[in-house]
Formats: sequence, structure tokens, C-alpha cells
Amino acid sequence: MLILSSEKTDNPARIERTYYLISENIRIDGREREDYRPMEIETDVVSHAFGSSRLRLANTDVLVAVKIEVDAPYPERPLEGKLEFFVDCSANATPEFEGRGGEELAVELSNCLSSAYRSEEVFNLKKLCIMKGRKCWKLYVDILLLEVGGNLFDAVSIAVKAALWNTQIPKIKSINVDGSNIDIQVCDDIFSCTKLDVTGAPLMVTVCKIGDKCIVDPNAAEEQCSVGAVVVAVSRGNICTISQTGTGSFHPDTFKSCLILGISVAQRLEDSLTETLGEIKANQDVGFLK
Amino acid sequence: MPVDHKRINAPESAVPYKLFTKLNTESLKEQYQKAIRDGIRVDGRKPSEHRKIFLKTGIVAHAKGSAYIEQGNTKVVTSVFDPREIPNRTDYCLKGEIYCEFKFAPFSCPKRRLHQQDSQEKECSAIMKKALEAVVCREEFPNFQVDVYALVLHNDGSALSAAVTAAGVALASAGIPMFDIITSSTLAIQGEHSLFDPNFREELLSEIAIEKEHGVVILCVTSTHQQISHFHQTGNLQLNTITQSIDTLHNTCKEIVPVVQKCLVKSVLSVISES
Repeated sequence: MLILSSEKTDNPARIERTYYLISENIRIDGREREDYRPMEIETDVVSHAFGSSRLRLANTDVLVAVKIEVDAPYPERPLEGKLEFFVDCSANATPEFEGRGGEELAVELSNCLSSAYRSEEVFNLKKLCIMKGRKCWKLYVDILLLEVGGNLFDAVSIAVKAALWNTQIPKIKSINVDGSNIDIQVCDDIFSCTKLDVTGAPLMVTVCKIGDKCIVDPNAAEEQCSVGAVVVAVSRGNICTISQTGTGSFHPDTFKSCLILGISVAQRLEDSLTETLGEIKANQDVGFLK
Repeated sequence: MPVDHKRINAPESAVPYKLFTKLNTESLKEQYQKAIRDGIRVDGRKPSEHRKIFLKTGIVAHAKGSAYIEQGNTKVVTSVFDPREIPNRTDYCLKGEIYCEFKFAPFSCPKRRLHQQDSQEKECSAIMKKALEAVVCREEFPNFQVDVYALVLHNDGSALSAAVTAAGVALASAGIPMFDIITSSTLAIQGEHSLFDPNFREELLSEIAIEKEHGVVILCVTSTHQQISHFHQTGNLQLNTITQSIDTLHNTCKEIVPVVQKCLVKSVLSVISES
């Protein structure tokens, strides 16, 4: 978990108040334990990308862009396309990221994403195959952290899902095979594209344990109070990845209650995200900085 | 992916010849049915049976503490080195750190591994680090780091679990202050089959969606405090399956504890008899 330098000096009275209030099911900013802070989401913000999104959750700001390239599939999985995640921790986000400071967090985030998207039940890579064993689409999902204000896993997973939802894959008109040479002709009309199926794309919920209660979407002060958190990636009501952040350990019963909370919150998050994405109209004119 | 220019690497287009063998022409479902027939696995185990464990300390002479674990064919060497100051750190940190490096030997898997850590190895290192941080009294060595290296000589499944268990023993034998003994166990799930301590093939097949529910679960538990120090899952599983697997894996981890205790007692006795 990332603790910013300004939060390290948070005074003990405030921390104690956080503890007390959480046990009463109300938090410093007036939320209940299972509530999220308001978030803002935009799609199609980067014109050079095939799909993009920007999410702002309180002070956390994430920009995700998807680029597509033609590649050869892995020999052991000739029928599948490729999907790769890259996380970039810009030093703009927090001074701690300067140099190689953000590397550990970046690796943790991209590992968690790639293991969440690995199962075929979650995201079907077979749709990205162009020609068995020879050609496939490769999706590069680049995640740029613009500002870090806690709860990164949730924010990144929502932004990634929105960017993939927004992604347009070019239609293929014809494939000419001449020996080992493969020639692909893409449809001339740039607007006739296929959309990806992202109904199963996982959403990650970080469940933070404070005292003997669990909360979601912790703010900076709350992150400091908690010893550890469980990241639950949920896809269609099933769990596709569980990971832990921080260094604390959990009792099995607490751990199970974290999972139950994670699933129910993810379900609500999923519903509201689908609703929001449905409201977005094509070619809606929105600026990056509004 | 950065390329290692100091060594001669195999051509990038190289394909493992095993892909062309007869086994690979079968569908995944057939392959899985072969792996478990009438409730008995290829190596003759029942689904809930753990492989035998061999554990020994003090096998790396230069390390402060080391351990070697054999779990069926899976062989892992772990070594722990003296605490040293954290490199490139300017500010003071109250708690010491653990640096973990998990590596598959180039010849340990069916496919050749490179000398540099790949993303899977980095992920395993991160899991190991988190699992071990919860059992080490890190406030005893502020501003210092303890290096833990795990080298897998032969990967026949559950390598990460074996490495975590062995690293716990190596830390203890190195005299690093610890809260508890840590043990770890893996479960591979495919449909209604749950296989404990999977071998390489079972682990591989459980990561692919043959049935709707599939996945691999790794649990690391501290023995006396009964706490989950780390839990990692991949695949696609229902909540019930996961809660059940937590309980059953917890029991399996408890069964490994006596092996670890015996090994540590043996190492202490040998130190006493030497002096």
C-alpha cells in the first residue's frame, strides 16, 4: 500500500476518530462502510488510441489507452490473441514515483490485472484470433497514473474495463496466404469496427480491514489505519483473482467476510458502471480536461 | 521485455518440440480425464493426498541459513543472508525489509527459462515477500533488509508453496526473529475436481478453462496464530468453492507443520552437538 509522505504525519487523534467512527458504520467524510466516493468517467479521450478512458475517483486520476497491433499467437495457444497490461507510474502523480520508485507498484498492478483477465470465462482471447497459429490481434493496455489518492486497484480496473468497452477492433476484409507470407486487408470504412465483449471483464474491489470491520474505497487516513487489504477481482459474480496488499495477516473468518463484502460491492459497482457506459453516446464531444 | 545481451539466447522463434507430440493432439478435456481417472491421479495419489515432503537445513555453506525442500519431484533450494543496510535508501524506516528473489532454474521446466526474471517469477517473488513479511519481526532490524533467495531446481507443480515453506525454515535457521512458523499449500480446481498439491501437468490444466469453474489457489498460514499470511487465487471460481478451499487448505497447511518442526529441532540438535 502506498503511503504518501504528507499522510505519515497524520495526527493520532484523527486516526483514533477514524477507528471509532468506522465501528459505528459512519466514516469521516460521512460515507457508510460500503460506500464509494463519487467518480467521474470519460471514454474516447485519446484520439490516437483504439479505445481509451479516464477515471477520476476523488484524488485518484487514471488514464487508460488501448493500442492494437497484429502479431503471431503463442505456439502453445494458436487460437488465442494476446492482451498485455503496462502500468506507468508518472512522477507527476506523487514524488515517491521518481526514478524507479513506482516500479514495484506498477508490477503489482499489472500482475494483478493480467491474472484477473487470464481465464477464458472472464475474457475470451479467442475472439482476437485472425488466423489459427499465424496471425492474431495484440491488445496493449497502457495505464497511466496521473494522480494517486488511494484505492488504485479499484480505479484502474474500472478504467481498464471502460477502455476495453470503448475499444474498436478493425474489421478484416480479406486474408491472402502466399506460403509464409500473410497479407491482411482491413476494411476501408474506418467506422465499421467490431466492439469487444467486456461483460465478463473483472472489477477489482479493495477491502480494507480496520479494527474488526471491513470497508471499501479507503481514503488516505483510512489506508493508514489499516494493516492490510484484500483485492478481490469479480467477474459475473465469480471471483477470478484474489490478492493481498500490505503486510498484515488475516484470520480465516475475517478473510471470508472480506470476500463476501467484495463480491456484493463489485456487483453494485458493475451495475452502475454498465448503466453509465450505456448513457455515453457515440461521438459525444468531451474534452480531456473539460 | 529487456533482452539479456551478455548471454547467448535461443532464437526467439524456437518452439518446444513437445507441442508436436501425440499427446498434444488430444483435446484438453481428454487430457484432463487422463490426468485423473476414477478419482486416482497419474502418480497414484487420491485428490486430497499431499506428496511426501523432504526438508533439510544448512545446505548452502555461505548463507546464514538455508533449506532444501523436495515435494515429490519439485525441488527448491532457499537461502537467507545476513541483514544488510537497504541500498539506495536515504530516509530511516522503522521496520526492516525482506527482499525476495524467486527463480526457476533454466532447466527446471519443460520450456527453457531465461536467466533474467520473467513476469511470472517477479509475481512469485512478490507473493513470497508478502507471505514472509507477516511472520518476521521486522521491527527488530530497522533500516536493514534480509535477502531471501529461492531457486527451483525442478518444477513439478506447487513450486511457490514449497518455496514459501522452505523459506520459512531457512529464515528460522538463520536466526532471524520470527513470530511463527509459516507453511503453504496449493490447490488446483477444475469443475468438481479439487486436487491438492498438484503436479506440473495438473497445475497447468487447472489454469485453462475446461469447465466453467477452474483455478489455482495458494494459501500461506502461520501455524500457532492460525492467520492467513497470504492468499492468492487465479482462474474463475465461485465464492463457496473458495471458502471451502480455504478450510481444506488450512488443514493441509497444519499437517505440514510437524515436518517443519522436526526439521528445525534436528538442525538445532546438530548445532549443539557440533559445539
